[in-house]
Amino acid sequence: MTEHRVGTPEEWQAERDKLLAEEKELTRRGDELTKKRQELPWVPVEKEYAFETEEGTKTLADLFDGRSQLLIYHFMFGPTYEAGCPVCSSIADSIAPQVPHLEARDVTAMFVSRGPLEKLQSYRQRMGWDIGWASTVGSDFNRDIGFLHTEEELKPFLESGEIPLTVTQNAEMCDTDAAGYVAEGPGLSVYAMSDGTVYRTYVTTARGLEQPAMSFYGLLDRTPVGRNEPPDEPLWIRRHDEYQEAAR
Amino acid sequence: MTEHRVATREDWLTARKELLKREKEHARQSDEIARRRQELPWVPIEKEYVFEANDGKKTLAELFDGRSQLLVYHFMFGFGLRVDQQNPGCTGCSFAADHFDGVIPHLNGRDVTLVSESIAPLEELRPYKERLGWKFPWVSSLGSDFKFDFGAAFTEEQRENGAEFNFRHVDHPAPQREGMSAFAIEDGVVHHTYSTYDRGVEALMGTFGFLDRAPAGRNDGAETWWRRHDEYGMP
Repeated sequence: MTEHRVGTPEEWQAERDKLLAEEKELTRRGDELTKKRQELPWVPVEKEYAFETEEGTKTLADLFDGRSQLLIYHFMFGPTYEAGCPVCSSIADSIAPQVPHLEARDVTAMFVSRGPLEKLQSYRQRMGWDIGWASTVGSDFNRDIGFLHTEEELKPFLESGEIPLTVTQNAEMCDTDAAGYVAEGPGLSVYAMSDGTVYRTYVTTARGLEQPAMSFYGLLDRTPVGRNEPPDEPLWIRRHDEYQEAAR
Repeated sequence: MTEHRVATREDWLTARKELLKREKEHARQSDEIARRRQELPWVPIEKEYVFEANDGKKTLAELFDGRSQLLVYHFMFGFGLRVDQQNPGCTGCSFAADHFDGVIPHLNGRDVTLVSESIAPLEELRPYKERLGWKFPWVSSLGSDFKFDFGAAFTEEQRENGAEFNFRHVDHPAPQREGMSAFAIEDGVVHHTYSTYDRGVEALMGTFGFLDRAPAGRNDGAETWWRRHDEYGMP
C-alpha cells in the first residue's frame, strides 16, 4: 500500500481544513474558466458535412435533433479498427448515462467515428450504451478539427522507434496497427444552432477530456493511492467487460 | 439563445489558445491538490460500523469487498430535494448516482470499491434502485452512527444547536447532506483518509463538466433544474 502517515482525527482535521480552502479556490477558478469558455466567439460552420446514422444520411444541423446545442465526442474507431479504442470506451461509459440530464439542458450528446456504421452499432450493443453514434461520410469532419492525422504527418512518430507501450497495447486491443490506431484522435467538439446557422463554439482533447468525460479520474484523485500511473507502465484502462482483476 | 460574438476561425483559435493555457494551469493545480490529498494522514477507525447489504450484515472492512480502497457515497434517502413517498431518494443524489455504474468497472480496475449508503431499510432502497436501473452496491446504514460520524447526517440535538458541515460551523444543519468519504484498509485496519461535501461531489458528476463546456453553460438560474432521469418531460 502507498506510503502514508497515521494521525489523530484532530491532526487530520487541521490539514483537511487547509486543503479545503485550496479545493474551494480550485472550484472558483473552474467557474471562471467556464465563464471564459462561454465568452469564446462562435464560428459559423460553412462547410457541408454528411453523417451516416441509423435513420439515414444527416447533416450536422440534423444531428442537433431539435435541440440548440450539440456535443460530439470524436470516438477513436477508425476504418481499420475491429473494436473501439479502450480509453474512448471508458469515456463513453461516463457520457452515455448522462444523456437524459444533458438533453434536459437542451444539449444533444453523441459519438462520431470514421468506422463503418455497422461496426459502430454492434460495438455499441456489446458495451450497452444508449447514445447516438454516427459514422462520418468521408474524413473531412474529423480532419478539419484536427482529429485525423495523415500518414505523412505520422511518419516521424511511427519511425522514431519510440512508440509508447500504451499505443501498441491499445492498437492491439482494437485489432489494428499503431499507424491505424493513431491516425484517429480523441476529442470533444461543441456546437450551437441559432437562426438555422450552426456554429462551432468549443473544442478540446487530451487532458481536456478528463474533467467532463473521465469521472473515474476525479474519484481516483480523492482516493488514498490516487491514479497511480507510473510513466514506464502502459495505461491501465480496459473496456468495462475486459477487466481481469488480480485474485482477490 | 445565449449572447455571443461571431468570429472567424483564426480569431476563435487565438482566443481558444489563450484559454487553453489557463485550462492547463487549472489541470496542474488540480493535480497538485490530488497530491496533497494523498499526503493527508490516515486516521484508524476504532468504532465498529455494521451495514445491511443484499448478502447480509457487513462491517466497514467487509464493504471493501477484497479491494484496498473504498469510496462511500452518502446518499440522502427519505430526505432531500423533491422527496416524497413515491420518490424517496434525493433528486440531487439520484443525479450523482447516474454517474456511478459507468465508472465502477474502471475504479475496480484500480483496486477501488465504490458503495452508496443510506439511512433507510434495504427494502426501501431496493425498489428505488430497480426503478432507476442502477447496479452499484447500495447498503443500509440504518441504526449505525456511520453517516453521522462522517458528517453527512445530523442528530436532532445538532440540528437544534448547530454542528460542523463541510468543515465549518452551521447553526441549523439539515437532517442529511450529500457527501463522499474515502477509506483505506491495511493489515486489517480500516483508515479514514478523506471526506468531501457540497460542491466537492461535483467531481464525480461529469454532466456538470459537459455543461461547463456547452455554449449556454449550466444555466442554473434560481431553480435546480435536475430531475430523476425518468422524470424529465413530466409535468
